[in-house]
Amino acid sequence: MRAGRRRLSRDERLAYLILLPALGAVFVIVTIPFVLVVIQSISADDGTLVGLRNYSRALSNPLLYDALRATATYSLIVLPIEILFGLGFALLVHRTVRRPGLRAAIYVLAILPLVVPPVAIGVVARLVYAPSYGVLNVILERFGAIHQEINWLGDPNLAMLAVASVDIWQWTPFVYLVLFSGLQTVPRESVEAAQLDGADWWAQFRYIDLAYLRPLFLLIIFFRLADVLRVFDHVFILTGGGPGTTTQLLSLYMYRVEFKYFDSGQAAALAVLVLVSFSILYRLISRALPLERT
Amino acid sequence: MTRPPIDRAAFLRSGLAAAGLGIAGILYGFPLYWLFVTSLKSKAELFSSTVHLLPHNPTFAAYSSVLIDRGFWVLLKNSVIVCFSTVVVTLVLGLIITYPITRLPVPPRLRVNILIWALSLRFLPPIAVVIPYFAIVRTLQLYDQPIALIGIYSLFNLPFAIWMLKGFLEEIPLELEDAALVDGASRWIAFWRVLLPLAAPGVMAAGIIVFTFAWSEFLFALILTATPNSQTFPVGVQGLVTQFEIIWNDMAASGVIAMALPLALMVIGRRYIVAGLTFGVIREK
Repeated sequence: MRAGRRRLSRDERLAYLILLPALGAVFVIVTIPFVLVVIQSISADDGTLVGLRNYSRALSNPLLYDALRATATYSLIVLPIEILFGLGFALLVHRTVRRPGLRAAIYVLAILPLVVPPVAIGVVARLVYAPSYGVLNVILERFGAIHQEINWLGDPNLAMLAVASVDIWQWTPFVYLVLFSGLQTVPRESVEAAQLDGADWWAQFRYIDLAYLRPLFLLIIFFRLADVLRVFDHVFILTGGGPGTTTQLLSLYMYRVEFKYFDSGQAAALAVLVLVSFSILYRLISRALPLERT
Repeated sequence: MTRPPIDRAAFLRSGLAAAGLGIAGILYGFPLYWLFVTSLKSKAELFSSTVHLLPHNPTFAAYSSVLIDRGFWVLLKNSVIVCFSTVVVTLVLGLIITYPITRLPVPPRLRVNILIWALSLRFLPPIAVVIPYFAIVRTLQLYDQPIALIGIYSLFNLPFAIWMLKGFLEEIPLELEDAALVDGASRWIAFWRVLLPLAAPGVMAAGIIVFTFAWSEFLFALILTATPNSQTFPVGVQGLVTQFEIIWNDMAASGVIAMALPLALMVIGRRYIVAGLTFGVIREK
């Protein structure tokens, strides 16, 4: 009994001995930039303190609101389409594809887009949408659908759609994979019972499948939102934020303020504002997540 | 046993499935096909006025142009070094943090707080971090050094590593280590000889996923590097895209090269990628 207790406390001490230095180091490394960025946000370029002037400049810049509007538009296009297509495809495969070999093949094909560098997908999108060489125009012309080149990346509305289509292309398979694995947890008995009761496929989806998928939708929204709000790579490659500022999402805007306008005070203020609003958003969303917490 | 008659619903269903899979196949296959075909074109063919959908006289000239004439093999080498170092640092740190919270008696609150904190890093937008990090890197004279990238990549991949390794370590019964401890082995020996070999497949999977994430990273690489001394391959690809006159076949070849390694690695890590992307919520079948 005594020996057992002593061993336990020795293990506990060992746990803290390992954890404290590691977590302490990571904590310091993560925290220093936050402290620095707050200092930078209340200083002028020469280091004198200017109070909240950088914040008021950041918030009164109309380009910030263009960026927020672009980010919102992008999210509102991308998230519903990805979820809808992902869900539709998951239901389709779940209900109609029975052969395990084919299911496994679809699984492998669906994970491939997830690991391809967004920069490389930006290259692919360039080859599809670009003027003169873009294959989309070439095909549309061959089929006689258009007689004049469409300037996919030069027209404000089309450029946003082109940029969004890349996101949809890359991440719909993720939604599919998550929802498909969710559908597989639906017990066969309840499906069969429902079918005996004469439930059509819609009732089966509405009353059985959806119950198992609901927590997964939250999960998808969490991870997709985290990614959509940080999108940079493929937009930078495909349009660079243009034409004008129509596809200048928040990340691209902040990049431009810091590294093109060299306005580090305003960039730091933006960074602080983003960090604060994101941690609030994180708190709101993460509470609802179905993660195991033990 | 007689075969059930083919009913119309089943026929309709398989038609629907074929249509769905076919459309998806074209939407995903054709752009990639176009990338590959373009990378096989010669410079002369790019200047012809009609665009050919099928390859004429395929050549690997664009690949040698990108890797050798433009010297991108150096960027490829940088990418491999940076990604490999990131994997090692991330896994070591990940194991240091997950070992105590899965194998040793720590208060559940501490454990949960560590996990939630790690998850919050996943939500952090890199652009907000890169601005202060850029200043630090400049102050420490690490600008344009691979080590600056290794540091930040390890930090940003740590949450994935913690959640994945936690899942794998939890699955290994505590009794196996306890048996070794009772036999007189030290904690370290029990970890090194008993736990790690059992966890090896999971650790490998986490390593592969961290490698592919680091391989794809672009924003930090764009900002923290300036020359082939530390530039990674995606930065080189970007250079080919944003120049004034795009050389299509070179650009396409660089895209193919950038994709090749992660796709190859996924052959090994395919069972774990969804678990990794969802922090272990969705487990492999």
